[in-house]
Amino acid sequence: MSTCIETKQVSKIFGGLTAVNTVDVVVTENIIASIIGPNGAGKTTLFNCISGYYTPEHGQIEFYGMPIQGQPTYAVATMGIARTYQNIRLFGDMTAIENIMVGQYPRFKAGWVDAVLSTRRERDEEKQSIEESVRLLKFVGLAGLGDSLARNLPYGAQRRLEIARALANKPRLLLLDEPTAGMNPQETGKMTHFIRSLRDELGITILLIEHDMRVVMDISDQITVLDYGTKIAEGKPKEIQSNQRVIEAYLGPDVTSLTKKYQLRKKQRYDAKS
Amino acid sequence: MKAAVDKGLRTGVIFGIVIVVMFLIGFTVTGAELVGKLFGVSTPSNTMPSLSFFALFMILMGTWTGTIAAQHPLVEADTWKRALTAGISAGAFSGLLAAVIGFLFGGLNSSKIDPRTYLPSISPESIKMFLFGQTSLVGSLMIFALLTFSALAGASLSYFLRSNNGLKSGTSAATNSISAVMRSERMTSLLQNKYARYVMMLVFAAILLILPRTWGSYWNYVFGTVGIYIILGLGLNIITGWAGQLVIGYVAFFAVGAYTFSLLTAPEPHHLMLNFWVALGLGVLAAGISGLLIGLPILNLRGDYLAIVTLGFAEIIRIMLKSDLMTAYTAGPRGIRDIAGPTLFGKSFISDVDFMYLIIIAVLVVTFLANRLQNSRTGKAWYAINLDETVARATGINAFASKLLALSLSAAVAGLAGALFASRNQFTGPDDHALMVSINVICLVIVGGIGNIPGIFLGAFALKGLPEILRETESYRLLIFGVLLIVMMRLRPEGFLPAKRPKLEKNSGKEA
Repeated sequence: MSTCIETKQVSKIFGGLTAVNTVDVVVTENIIASIIGPNGAGKTTLFNCISGYYTPEHGQIEFYGMPIQGQPTYAVATMGIARTYQNIRLFGDMTAIENIMVGQYPRFKAGWVDAVLSTRRERDEEKQSIEESVRLLKFVGLAGLGDSLARNLPYGAQRRLEIARALANKPRLLLLDEPTAGMNPQETGKMTHFIRSLRDELGITILLIEHDMRVVMDISDQITVLDYGTKIAEGKPKEIQSNQRVIEAYLGPDVTSLTKKYQLRKKQRYDAKS
Repeated sequence: MKAAVDKGLRTGVIFGIVIVVMFLIGFTVTGAELVGKLFGVSTPSNTMPSLSFFALFMILMGTWTGTIAAQHPLVEADTWKRALTAGISAGAFSGLLAAVIGFLFGGLNSSKIDPRTYLPSISPESIKMFLFGQTSLVGSLMIFALLTFSALAGASLSYFLRSNNGLKSGTSAATNSISAVMRSERMTSLLQNKYARYVMMLVFAAILLILPRTWGSYWNYVFGTVGIYIILGLGLNIITGWAGQLVIGYVAFFAVGAYTFSLLTAPEPHHLMLNFWVALGLGVLAAGISGLLIGLPILNLRGDYLAIVTLGFAEIIRIMLKSDLMTAYTAGPRGIRDIAGPTLFGKSFISDVDFMYLIIIAVLVVTFLANRLQNSRTGKAWYAINLDETVARATGINAFASKLLALSLSAAVAGLAGALFASRNQFTGPDDHALMVSINVICLVIVGGIGNIPGIFLGAFALKGLPEILRETESYRLLIFGVLLIVMMRLRPEGFLPAKRPKLEKNSGKEA
């Protein structure tokens, strides 16, 4: 299996704050990898470095062996890295299908002259673009909603539309920033299933940030844990669950004693009641 | 009942203030003249319109007051009693305000103090008319009564319309029914029918062919200006409406087009005397390139830098054209005269009718271009940048290149408008390219409906055509402009005809 994306000693510094500190992540092809960590751990910053929105101060990011750090965002996207956002960022005043068509942008060639002259290329591409978009709408379960404005769609549909827009470019790597944020357990279950189908049916490598531990432990092939910008653990879900440093990062040091105290108090309260 | 009185009083205050302000700025006279025009009676300047027209104007205002007062949901919910109460209290209150101001100024009049020293738009005659030629006491009582009764009439009219047809009010009912007709299935299928469309196009073309011949030169001039502003609006719409980058100094590109064209065709100052069409092309090209050059250093930035830079650019161009330094090259503040008119196969056609045809063709060409671009891949990229530039970049759109393309296309269209403008007037000078042109174009795009081609047509007619039709209101043009913009922003923030997105999924099967 070849390596899909690899960050080598990547650091991103904002003023005096090192948001991402010499992080190495290796994601092989066709797996679901997760990045977890407490708030402010630098997960989204790392995402922004990969997708070209930030240029890291140190280190290298390689996509199938090609260095991509410092490249403009649109060039990174054109190479085949697509992403979604923590707080959904659709083109709200466009229809759902148009959102997907914008996502296809790098795959087509027709320019403004083609558009004005309505050349064969323009017409062929337009037809292909619409057909594919309709298919993609069906794939994410939004068939029939294509002509409604994106901002009028229900929340879950907006999340799926955002993924559809990312898929429109036929990416090899998909970055999902908290895909189940704000969803109820039922929707979360559906989304988990959907993400897995992306890997299995489309063969896309997926890197995701997620706070819902059940989702993470359920679907990840590999988990990377960040805390204060540094990588503190990496491995299979089982290994992470029992990792002492991870537990400390989430729940604070002396967590064992805290837990004991909590249990003690709970027991006292229970006793007092009865 | 209290709610009705409340609402009535509030409406009355607003309309009362409006009437008082109208009186103070002398609009009561203009309004009466306009009413007179409706009946085909034009008022010669320096004379007052007839009293009955003024009374009719006041009755219209009062009726409007009553209609609005009776429209409050709290009032609507209940009986005619409430509607009439609201109407009568609104009318009485506005009438009271009008009567007080009339009484005060009537007093001034009778004590021989000329109000013009303080308020230049009021003359003793206009005060007299406001009081129906009576003494101040009788006159103010008359205007009070007139407003009260017409408001009562307006309220009952609005109640009557609503209770009979379930309509909200006459005006909104009309717009609603029009849009309902436009949206109905039969209409859309008719619009989509190929042959129906051809027939409509033919009819349209015939109208366009006949009209310039029958209008006469004055209307050709007016509608020629409207046409040029349509071109400008469509051009600005590319960069501002679609790509979402505000350009305030759009007139700069207009000037580049006009001057390039003029310098190439006029006998002075360079005596190049190029062919009309060659010069036209070069003017468009020069404007496009100027847009490209302006955009290169700044379009990588986000936000309103472009607005500020183009604003500066427009002023630099205007001042340069005026300066002594450039007089040898651009004829300075005198401007360029004897600019060539269009020629075809060696024959020149510069009559106003022929030129109107040329403008119509140019409008059609630009409209066609804009229409093709609107929903193309490029157009979608522009709109994506407009809505969220960060995400647009992350979906693989080269935002810089897209914006640069939009700006230079926009500028080229402005260059076309500028060249046509200069050629039609056979003259161009620095004052033709003042910043007001840019403001006008921005206004017409916003009022008409930003991003929407029919909206821009409507905006151009409303902002450049209507003031010519309503010549009497000329001195109030800026006031009406301001009021119109505020009302627009309150009621229809997206313009009269807001842009709609195409239905691609629904139609995807049909095309194949």
